[in-house]
Amino acid sequence: MSLSNLIKNWSTLRVKRPYEDQYKDKDYKWAMVIDLDTCTGCNACTTACYAENNLPVVGKEFFGKGQAMHWIRIERYWGENEEMEGKFPDRGAQFLPMLCQQCEAAPCEVVCPVGATHHTPDGLNSQVYNRCVGSRYCSANCPYKVRYFNWWQYPERAWPNPLEQQLNPDVTVRSKGVMEKCTFCVQRLTEAKNRARTEGRRVADGEVTTACAQACPTSAITFGNLADDKSEVARIWARQKVDLAKDKQDKEEDLRGYRIFEDLRTYPSIVYMERVRNFEA
Amino acid sequence: MSHTVDLHTPEDKDIHIERKFVPKPLDIDREVSWAKINKDVLRSLERPRPMFWVIFVAALALFSFGVYCEIYQYQNGMGAADLNNPQVWGLYIATFIFWIGMGHSGTLLSALLHIIHADWRKPIYRYSEAMTTFSLLTAALFVLIHLGRIWEFYYVVAYPNERWVWPNFSSPLVWDATAIGTYLTSSLLFLYTGMVPDLAICRDNARGVRKKLYTFLSMGWQGTDRQWANFRVTYMTLACLLMPLAVSVHSIVSTDFAVSQNPGWHITSFPPYFVLGALYSGCAVIITLFIVLRYVFRFEEYMTMPILNKLIKMTFAIAMVWNYLNLIEYATVWYGDNEVAKAQFIYKITGTYAPVFWGMVLCSTVLPFALLIKFVRTHMPTLLVVSLLLNLGMWLERVQIITPTFAHSQYPWTWTANWFPSWVQWGIVAGSFGWFTMLFMLYCKIFPAISMYEVKEMVHDQSKMLKARGQ
Amino acid sequence: MMKKSHTLALFNDFEEAGQAIRDLKAVSLPGFRMEDVVIKSPIEHPELSEMLGDRPVYVQWFTLGGVLVGPLTGLILVASAQANFLLQIRGGRPVVPVPPDMVLTYEFFILSGVLMTVLGCFIGWKLPGRRSPLYNAKVSEDKIGLLIKADPLVIPKINEILARHKPIEIMGEDRR
Repeated sequence: MSLSNLIKNWSTLRVKRPYEDQYKDKDYKWAMVIDLDTCTGCNACTTACYAENNLPVVGKEFFGKGQAMHWIRIERYWGENEEMEGKFPDRGAQFLPMLCQQCEAAPCEVVCPVGATHHTPDGLNSQVYNRCVGSRYCSANCPYKVRYFNWWQYPERAWPNPLEQQLNPDVTVRSKGVMEKCTFCVQRLTEAKNRARTEGRRVADGEVTTACAQACPTSAITFGNLADDKSEVARIWARQKVDLAKDKQDKEEDLRGYRIFEDLRTYPSIVYMERVRNFEA
Repeated sequence: MSHTVDLHTPEDKDIHIERKFVPKPLDIDREVSWAKINKDVLRSLERPRPMFWVIFVAALALFSFGVYCEIYQYQNGMGAADLNNPQVWGLYIATFIFWIGMGHSGTLLSALLHIIHADWRKPIYRYSEAMTTFSLLTAALFVLIHLGRIWEFYYVVAYPNERWVWPNFSSPLVWDATAIGTYLTSSLLFLYTGMVPDLAICRDNARGVRKKLYTFLSMGWQGTDRQWANFRVTYMTLACLLMPLAVSVHSIVSTDFAVSQNPGWHITSFPPYFVLGALYSGCAVIITLFIVLRYVFRFEEYMTMPILNKLIKMTFAIAMVWNYLNLIEYATVWYGDNEVAKAQFIYKITGTYAPVFWGMVLCSTVLPFALLIKFVRTHMPTLLVVSLLLNLGMWLERVQIITPTFAHSQYPWTWTANWFPSWVQWGIVAGSFGWFTMLFMLYCKIFPAISMYEVKEMVHDQSKMLKARGQ
Repeated sequence: MMKKSHTLALFNDFEEAGQAIRDLKAVSLPGFRMEDVVIKSPIEHPELSEMLGDRPVYVQWFTLGGVLVGPLTGLILVASAQANFLLQIRGGRPVVPVPPDMVLTYEFFILSGVLMTVLGCFIGWKLPGRRSPLYNAKVSEDKIGLLIKADPLVIPKINEILARHKPIEIMGEDRR
């Protein structure tokens, strides 16, 4: 009965996340590292994402209206290096691939009225399309603004016959009125996890990766399992002294790893590698 | 030395004579007979001025256009409203808050004034409560309209199902739905309970279909002492329950914003600020409707100038409290010196949407001072325009809460400056005004807009009081 | 048990009705009790009702029941639904968080209070019900009515008492 369930599991139901060693005894916690010093801003990750995740190409008009659907976007920032700006006004851009940060304490999850977005046991911030009613509160509360809404019935526009043949059969095609966002290519993760389970083992490091990481020509994106101490991702996180459950990391001179908006206490799963020059901010 | 000092100088005595008791203008003429009250109010159900039909038809037209826009949006998707990634809510949520806010004054003021026995509420509370009910219905429409998949709206409702899937009770939107549902139910019951004696009067005087309707609704009320005694206790209890409810509802609406992390929304003073804003816009609408009903239904004898004057005084006081809270909000943002919040505030008053902000300042902060002028208070057409402008200001206030925050939130990549709502959005917003006016006008045509039995009480109490004073 | 009969007198104002009640109280007639006197009036008049003796109102007890049971039921419903929900982990918050449940409990508190009050009121009104056969539409306009139920034999005497206070009309029940 529901009431007895409530009383029996009271202590677990009152646990706040994230906490230290949350994933210590778990098999998986998916995480990512993006090296901004290696990123060239070539947009290969975005293209790969469009192909893998059935993202509709909205066209010039809707893009201009701000209704594009790129789950991963390359942002350009100027003005870091004033010396450079004077000499070469168009040079010196900084690139930042921005995708869903799969926050451990995601602001979007709390506010969804129907619980369409929630946290999976392997640390993903998942989105249930069938449950979504499209209130867009998640997007309003997302500090990174990486949630994309199906403003129109895109499928018919984006993939006219016979283009629908090239859709990825493992991924749902979303209809109008639902919210969507980066899933860390959950279809790949699920497949790898299932295969490993049949063989009675854990998914090995490098066995599965996201489309963006796979397509990156400079290997700026590293994807892996943070719960596995020996994985590449876990080693970089450890080397950069980034702790998943902390909202303030040690800022040492030779460390490059940082997470965006840590002070908002979202606990993102993506570490960006770039020396933070403005320590005051 | 003499101890008897005459404090009354001759001049003082003269003043004393001049200070004879001058009765203040009464809220309602005490000579009005009870039979006349019945006759006058019941006449409003039969033959209003032609202006009634002008307003009704205009409202119907606006509403029809809104329906057309909504169908268009339903068919094509939310993109038809020209919403985009940072601007996910647009005018819909702003107008939603506007209507919720408007719905506050009616029931809240009626309950408050009932508790403190302010008799002047009696001729105006019925239509104010009706206004509450219908503006809540309009607000509920916006909850549906803004949904991307309106056809799945029932997911938000907690209904038992075999999959054990529930709404997310942590979401402020679910609190909203619960609070508005509670408020709508309670306001309707409050309105209905207070109307039963009047429905009995209608029943006793109507014919045909209407007689059947009123007979059904009055449920056999006969005005027995037992019924009155129960009525008095019930009505007072309901008023006491509705007061805190109304305050809680708009506080909860404000948590939609205050609970989120966005600069310009994440502000502690939002709940009282929203409650006061709600009261303010509600009072302004009560004045608007006062003037309209007074003219359309020829209620000059009941909706009198002294009552209007009291209403205006209250509106002015509330406007000043609202001003204070507005000021304190900006002051704390400034003094708090949070870079993001401060940048957002500067953008709000100087950026693309600055005209909205300054429009609000003009209409809601500066304009209420016009109420101090006697001409404005007594000249009906001017007062009508002023009250409408106050409301425009309150609508702009809601827009300036939502739009600039989306346009200039934490993440610089999403800073947008060129967003403008499409005709579909404007059409739906306009349609909501049509829908409200249509329902309200229909209500006043079918049900008595003035509480007959309470006006009788007022006349009775007044003549008793005057008799006691020996006049 | 003998069948009782009704009579209804209409008065112009509360004073006259009050004097009639005082006279009725003074006499003792077989088959007539003060409990059977009912005032019908267009507005409430507490002083007049008090003359009829103590007629208690029970609405507040319904309210009390509502405001006690409502929040408890609401809290249990909400919390156990949260505990059973399959998609449990959300935004780092506890599965059964206190502040949101407080908000919802509060709304349940008010809602059940209001619903029970209105229910209690209708029970107190004995409505919906039929009007008594002796009803005059004037009591909803500007007249005060006294409806008296008594033994048919004493009805003429009661009518006599009522007639002393300038009633505009005395309606009797037709024998059917």
